[in-house]
Amino acid sequence: MIFQRVKGITLDGKKDACKKNPLQEYLNPKKVYIPLLQRTCVLEPEVKIGDQVKAGQLIAINQQYFNVRVHASISGKVTAIKKVWHSSGKMVDAIEIENDNLNTLVEDIKEEKSLDELTRQDFIDKLEKSGLTGLGGAGFPTYVKYRTKSKIDTVIINAVECEPYLTCDFHYLLKFKEKLVRGARYLRRAAEAKEVVIAYKAYNEEIAHAIEPLIKEFADIRLFPLKNVYPAGWEKYVVEQVTGKTYNNLPAEAGVIVNNSATTIVFADVVEKNIPLISRPITITGEGINQPRTYIVPIGTKVSELVELSGGYVEGLDPLKYNYIAGGPMTGRAIFVDDLVVNDTLGAVIVKPVIEGLYPECMGCGRCADVCPTYLTPTEIKKAYERKDVKLLGDLNANKCVECGLCSYVCPSHVEITEAVGKGKALLKKGA
Amino acid sequence: MARFAGGKAPFLRISDTKGHNTQAIMKDFMIAMSPVILFSWYKNGIKVLIDGNINFIEMLYPLFFIAMGAILSTLMEGIFFYVTDKEHRSFQDILDKLSRSYAAIPGIILALLLPLYTPIWVLMFAAFVATIIGKMIFGGFGHNIFNPALLGYAIVGFTLMGVVNRAGGLFNASEVLVDAYAGATPLGVLASGKQLSFDLLVKPYGGLFNLFIGSYPGALGETSSLAIMIGGVYLVYKKIIKWYTPVIYVGTVFVLSWLIGLVSGEAGLWFPTYSILTGGVMFAAVFMATEPVTTPTNSLGKVFFALFLGVLTVLFRFVGNLPEGVGTSLIFLNIFTIAFDKYTAVIRTKKLAKPGGLYLAILTGLFILLAIYTVIKAGNMYSLVMPILGWVI
Repeated sequence: MIFQRVKGITLDGKKDACKKNPLQEYLNPKKVYIPLLQRTCVLEPEVKIGDQVKAGQLIAINQQYFNVRVHASISGKVTAIKKVWHSSGKMVDAIEIENDNLNTLVEDIKEEKSLDELTRQDFIDKLEKSGLTGLGGAGFPTYVKYRTKSKIDTVIINAVECEPYLTCDFHYLLKFKEKLVRGARYLRRAAEAKEVVIAYKAYNEEIAHAIEPLIKEFADIRLFPLKNVYPAGWEKYVVEQVTGKTYNNLPAEAGVIVNNSATTIVFADVVEKNIPLISRPITITGEGINQPRTYIVPIGTKVSELVELSGGYVEGLDPLKYNYIAGGPMTGRAIFVDDLVVNDTLGAVIVKPVIEGLYPECMGCGRCADVCPTYLTPTEIKKAYERKDVKLLGDLNANKCVECGLCSYVCPSHVEITEAVGKGKALLKKGA
Repeated sequence: MARFAGGKAPFLRISDTKGHNTQAIMKDFMIAMSPVILFSWYKNGIKVLIDGNINFIEMLYPLFFIAMGAILSTLMEGIFFYVTDKEHRSFQDILDKLSRSYAAIPGIILALLLPLYTPIWVLMFAAFVATIIGKMIFGGFGHNIFNPALLGYAIVGFTLMGVVNRAGGLFNASEVLVDAYAGATPLGVLASGKQLSFDLLVKPYGGLFNLFIGSYPGALGETSSLAIMIGGVYLVYKKIIKWYTPVIYVGTVFVLSWLIGLVSGEAGLWFPTYSILTGGVMFAAVFMATEPVTTPTNSLGKVFFALFLGVLTVLFRFVGNLPEGVGTSLIFLNIFTIAFDKYTAVIRTKKLAKPGGLYLAILTGLFILLAIYTVIKAGNMYSLVMPILGWVI
């Protein structure tokens, strides 16, 4: 209809190349570089060069706004603190740990005996101590979500992974499906919610087949299939689809907490064994990689080692004609140097050819406005940004942009409109 | 360590796929225009040849004329690129720029808007106005305020109409349908101040169905509503234009004309039907009210634009002195496209809450006022209303 509310568009998934290759563990890299940056928080190291650290030991902390903690992902010796490339596109300080291959665990890591007696506060304390953040990409500390004072009815486990190419959540979920179900039910208890819903793409039938037999006996957990569209994994979209409710800023307003599926799996370990966040899944894929594959790696692993494990780059690859993307193809960031390390939010590295061409000007077809999931008008926001008209940017709700990238995706003239809207959003934030 | 290329998210673009970029959209516009071109060739060439009035070479003239529109426009832009950019004057550079400027489309539309017997030098002048004044000096494709083809047509209409009229004769044999109204277009008859009557307005042109098919005097491309609708359906199917822009525009003209017919004593539905089938309403609805560059971008803007365009067309037709009304109203509204874009974007974003509601109320009020004014002024309501007004005062 005239004011049609487009609910996403179907993208070519390009996941098959990676889906057919099984998940691989790579848990003992020679060195890890643990970045001292989480979202915008710079962390203070708690260890000195030369210290011996155990896997799971707290090595850096920031208590400015939230309690942000980072743990050693392997056991070994701290050899240096040096700059590495981070998925945010900047160079940041990182703690270099040389692996001693002994895999000694810190004393805190032990089986939790009284699982049934844990209260909500116990779960939140465990979350805070574990330094668990959203592994989906936003990297928000998970315990903060559970500290909410709102009444929570539903916890949603987001296993949608709607961006093309990515398969890390998919593989991770299938490998640890029991852990996912257990973690989901712990999360329900941590939020004191009525039920927990696992949202997945109906197109990924394997997930339904794997999970269904495991949740038959529980009344408080169910599956919810979503359409194969982008951005189906967007928090607000998932909440709207599952509960029919909407919200302005935080899902808690609608009585919902949303967690990524990989976060949930790690949470099961956090609860049962007190293992903090030390490893995560990552997809190495794209047309520039010989054997695209998903790995489970300790945080801080060099991506170049994983690329080598994947058979390296395709033959005759000219780096200047390829993008090296940290994150998904729609929201990720081009990194100039292939010297990235895995941090908590990095779900994928994609090496993909740049398609060059001569493009005409914007002709005002309006497709970007039709496709925007937040019903903004990107062309006008771009114009307002170019005029630096902060008031108009506010009227146009530039701050509501989620930078999903759809406006640039559909643009027939290849206009960098997502970038312009993002800048408009930043200007509005600064100006207001 | 290797150095990789930069870029901005998203790294997937539909414009990298064949058939989804601006080039393809422009190609689809061409395809959508082909039924119109073919019909005008049939009407002005093939049919006349069958009737035995012209020879084979002359039969090709309509196609030649339309092609000349495209060629002249492209040539003018090429020359403009050559003259204005001293550093990029090689043939390849100019070809590259032309491939992103799409000069042929306004050229073809321009040719379709003009009558067949327009002298080529007039076409050349129109093409100059269209591409250079209408488009290039505003900054080229994507920056023009006025629909280039329409501007060229309007300038010719204002300045050289006499030349065009005097030049007729050789190729318009088929256009002399009825002796009494030789070459006169239906709306010309209406503008000459005669009463609305079926016998006078429709019958000479072979009935409403014939008006729909398009075998009546008029500009090359705007007569056949059938051919235009085929093109429109194609564009809607390919999701290049929105179906509601033409529908709302044509619907507004239809409803207002119907009301005017009612108040002036002609109750029949033939009059509104006649109104939308003649004078290029259909052509404007499909090819010009939907032209992406010079009409509003977002859906709400498109709706308002089409509504206002309908009101203005009827207003100019019946109140002003211009028989046709479509072109003038389009050019007039093109000026406001930027304002339409801005305010409808705010209304859309604020989801009709304040202050969007205020804008919306003002716009709707304006629209209703215009509609009432048009109907009263155009139908002979004046004499009915004035005594009441006088009594009130």
